[in-house]
Amino acid sequence: MTLRRLPLPDPGTPDLRSPGRFLLWLARMQWRIQTLGVLYGVAWMSAQAAVPAVLGAAVQAAVRNDQRRVGWCVLAVVVLGVVQALAGVMRHRIAVETWITAASRTQQLVARQASDLGADLSRQVATGEVVAVTASDVERIGGAFDVLSRFAGAVVAFIGIAVLLLATSPLLGAVVLGGVPLFALAVGPLLKPLERRESAQRVTLGRATELASDTIAGLRVLRGIGGEELFLDRFRAASQDVRVAAFATARVRSLLDSLQVALPGAFVVTVTWLGARLALDGSITVGQLIAFYGWTAFLVVPLRTITEAAHKWTRARVAAARIIRVLSLRRAVSPDAARPEPAGVGTPVLHDPLTGLDVARGRLTAVVCGDPEVAGRLADRLGGYVAVENGAPAEASALLDGVPTPAIATDVLRSRVLVQDKDPVLLSGTVAELLDVPRSGRVGAAEAVGAAAAHDVLDALRDLDGTHDPLDGRLTERGRTLSGGQRQRLALARSLVADPEVLVLDEPTSAVDAHTEARLARSLKAVREGRTTVVLSSSPLLLEHADTVVLVDPGRAPVVGTHRALLDLDRYRSVVTREEEE
Amino acid sequence: MRPPEDPVAVGYGTGQEHRTTLPVGSDATVRAYVRLLLRRHRRAFSWVVGLQAVAALAGLAGPAVLGRLVGELTRGTTAARVDRAAAVFLAALVVQTLFTRASRLRAGLLGETVLADLREDFLTRAVALPPSAIERAGTGDLLSRTTTDVDRLSVAVRDAVPQIAITAVTAVLVAGALVVTSPLLALVALVAAPPILLGSRWYFRLAPQAYRAESATYAAVNAVVAETVDAGRTVEAYRLGPDRVRRTDEAIHRWIAWERYTLWLRTAWFPSVDGAYVVMLVAVLGAGSLLLSAGHVSVVQLTAGVLYTQMLVDPLDLLLMWYDELQVGQASMARLVGVREVPDAVVDHDLRPLGQQLLVDGVSFGYAAGRDVLHAVSLSVPVGSTVALVGPSGAGKSTLGRLLAGIYRPGTGSVTLGGARLADMPAERVRTHVALVTQEHHVFVGTLRDNLRLGRPDADDDAVRAALDAVDALEWALGLPQQIDTEVGSGGLPLSPARAQQVALARLVLADPHTLVLDEATSLLDPRAARHLERSMATVLEGRTVVAIAHRLNTAHDADRIAVVEDGRISELGSHDELVAAGGAYADLWRSWRSAD
Repeated sequence: MTLRRLPLPDPGTPDLRSPGRFLLWLARMQWRIQTLGVLYGVAWMSAQAAVPAVLGAAVQAAVRNDQRRVGWCVLAVVVLGVVQALAGVMRHRIAVETWITAASRTQQLVARQASDLGADLSRQVATGEVVAVTASDVERIGGAFDVLSRFAGAVVAFIGIAVLLLATSPLLGAVVLGGVPLFALAVGPLLKPLERRESAQRVTLGRATELASDTIAGLRVLRGIGGEELFLDRFRAASQDVRVAAFATARVRSLLDSLQVALPGAFVVTVTWLGARLALDGSITVGQLIAFYGWTAFLVVPLRTITEAAHKWTRARVAAARIIRVLSLRRAVSPDAARPEPAGVGTPVLHDPLTGLDVARGRLTAVVCGDPEVAGRLADRLGGYVAVENGAPAEASALLDGVPTPAIATDVLRSRVLVQDKDPVLLSGTVAELLDVPRSGRVGAAEAVGAAAAHDVLDALRDLDGTHDPLDGRLTERGRTLSGGQRQRLALARSLVADPEVLVLDEPTSAVDAHTEARLARSLKAVREGRTTVVLSSSPLLLEHADTVVLVDPGRAPVVGTHRALLDLDRYRSVVTREEEE
Repeated sequence: MRPPEDPVAVGYGTGQEHRTTLPVGSDATVRAYVRLLLRRHRRAFSWVVGLQAVAALAGLAGPAVLGRLVGELTRGTTAARVDRAAAVFLAALVVQTLFTRASRLRAGLLGETVLADLREDFLTRAVALPPSAIERAGTGDLLSRTTTDVDRLSVAVRDAVPQIAITAVTAVLVAGALVVTSPLLALVALVAAPPILLGSRWYFRLAPQAYRAESATYAAVNAVVAETVDAGRTVEAYRLGPDRVRRTDEAIHRWIAWERYTLWLRTAWFPSVDGAYVVMLVAVLGAGSLLLSAGHVSVVQLTAGVLYTQMLVDPLDLLLMWYDELQVGQASMARLVGVREVPDAVVDHDLRPLGQQLLVDGVSFGYAAGRDVLHAVSLSVPVGSTVALVGPSGAGKSTLGRLLAGIYRPGTGSVTLGGARLADMPAERVRTHVALVTQEHHVFVGTLRDNLRLGRPDADDDAVRAALDAVDALEWALGLPQQIDTEVGSGGLPLSPARAQQVALARLVLADPHTLVLDEATSLLDPRAARHLERSMATVLEGRTVVAIAHRLNTAHDADRIAVVEDGRISELGSHDELVAAGGAYADLWRSWRSAD
């Protein structure tokens, strides 16, 4: 069983030239089980197709009172039954295996691509688009491989029955072979309106689901202020819209269902009637009549499978097109391999030409800026996250040890400079996993948690979980169960554990209460001793502990000093003490 | 084969699992609810069954006609008789088609009506949950019940329930036809029953939990990849790429372990069922031919009997398949009806406050037994004054705020408004007096007007505009494409956090409670927006009693009284000047904040 060997250690290098080639590449990568699946599929379907012939022969023999022959027929049914059951289960096993292999390989490819591209991925395509790839397109790829073995069996069974029919009675053979596909096509005109109505229904359903989720998401507000009836009425109306739209679908679908009774039924009636006439004049036996009856009823199955395969392959091609679009993305600016080494003491580590900011090596620099948006862009520049237009950086980039950040190899840049965003994202998992980031080893998890004043966050998570070790508490996606201040402190702990050479913190304590902020400001300085730290903040509690404070204003020269010295400056005081402006 | 670790029990990071305090419905609750639905739709259900019975009966004509034809052909017959038999067959087909159409249509309508009931019943109950239950459980679990579980149940209700009704009717009728054709052959066909029943019983005992685990672990794979994409910047910044790849592979590994397990279940179950069908057919055929030669059954009976036996396979197979599907739905159903088991808060509907005096008296409170967060706290909030709560994170400020807003019931002691215990009043009455404002500022899907009128559904446009004006938001509101008729919220015009906050405040102006509890209301805003908002807030707060949980010391500075909360106790209480003069913890903090000795 090869499932045991999944996930693959290496998913391989896909052929991204076209959706078809991508699917073929996937098929090539698993050709052994794919072939085996086809063989089982053929055996399984053939065994089913042979049953009507044997049943016919059995009744024929019984009519002639030939017990020996009946005995053989019974034995044949047993053999066919056993073959069908065994080949069926093996075919199913292999179909599932091909599904999983193709789907998991694709999933691995997408995951590796996302990990490689990092911040660049969401800059090039909408996050939703990539998530749709993992959520639905991967399944469609799997579906294309799952149907393959049944498809092969269906084609062989169809051809086999056709040959047998034509050999016994050209007339009946022609009726069945000509008619069955014709009737399959006859359903076609109904499929379009069905699809249309189904998609109309999905739209109303989407609306109802959105209203329901929206009501739940704002449930605290509703229960706190009121308006439940307002929103319930709105949802009920939307829910009834779904019902009405669904009625329209049900009408077409029930028509389709009844056609699926009528059309094959009409065939069976025709074949039975013609066959009985032929049996009457002795051109076929009674046994053959029974076999024809059985085959006409059976042919629905392979035909449906062939239609299903066509449908699934169309969908898989569309899915493959989306997947190769994501997998073909490359980094926007491909950095030549500049790998600047830390220069000597005394020279600034980072320099930002737009604001004139110089970041002193090994010191704690606080940057005060009246406009939070300007501050955010400054943080981006310091980390080398530069928007790219027409293949070139959109604005003057910051310099790390004299080298422009876009020219620095990404791995070098990220290992030297870490920017903690204003609204940092916490990845789900345990606290221990959260803090398990590439690190220098200088700062332990416990020390970092202490310095970030995050003990109470750990305790809260642990109480929620009932675990003993505070590091085993679990975070949900993006840490949504935590308050803003709790999230900020955990994120800070993570940055402190990473202990990068240069740490840029954008408003790290904006949601933290004053008591805790004061505690945190002291310990931050101690933990980062000897390392370069930039804090973008306007909180006096943090600014007081900075070695240098720089007041940054676009279009003006930066003002450098200490917090206390700068307080004499009106422009500075109005930003940090939040006194009402005159 | 032993099942792998249960993903729910172990708690793999699917990012979606919520350890919930909301109950999952017991079997009894689910059964009671299903009975309720059946009673509500008894007529429609009978129609579906009745119509399908006729359709299935007509569908039985085929083997009967063929059997008779074979009998007549072996004895010798005429073309006219053959034609007549074919005509009967055709007529039966027409009846079968018409009744199939009618029964499927009614089944479809019934399914959709039941689904609408389920959706609406669930949300009706959800919005009436006691605030304390919502506060404790969070909205994540409710949200996944609204989306995922309703979705899963749709498949079951829309397809599985009608299909089971239809195939069950068909199976019963086919079996009946076999009995009528030849009771002896029917008895022989029963040999298939034990293997099908035993095999299926084993399978259905293990399968539901295994499929739940399988889909949970598969969702976990998607969640890990989606998170990697979503948090691309963080992944790159902390150099977590290789770690994310490893986690994806681990998630895939766990998912495939369950796929292997369920595959094994099917590998054992399929042959037992398929084998039973073979045994059944062989037994009927073999015993039938013996009975034929002994003269106990006729050729007609044998032919029809064999064909009926074969006809029985299809509905039995479908029945098992849909039963499988139904079980998936059942788990979701249990989660949906689970909200019915949340006990309503015990309240006194006649209790009304006399006056507006808010008083906390000797209150202790804890979320878990034996671990109190607040210890014997007493606090009086004078009418029309502002009290600021300051203190380190985790000291119990937010909990105290929620007790003051009547969301939680104190363990010991009491929180009273005008002499009436808040916890004993219905939530709908409490909120006309006291409102809790948090940093969570949900903007609802709908017009700006609908977003404001929550607390006063009958407010006219003038009142809505006045409310916007009071929070300094009228200017931008009138600048929107359709002014206050503009669609906002998810899918509509996005509002910045600062504007969302103003909307939340304007709601309060309309709802007009005399007391407000503000919990970090502005903490997620950047300093400039916060300062702007604090100015608009001043208008709202004027003349009201306010309890403000303050992160920023200037909020505390402006309050009439400040309570410093530390370790679940009020350690300092007094005006700003008194506390600064007292030289305690607050004074230290204030000095370092102002840095202006």
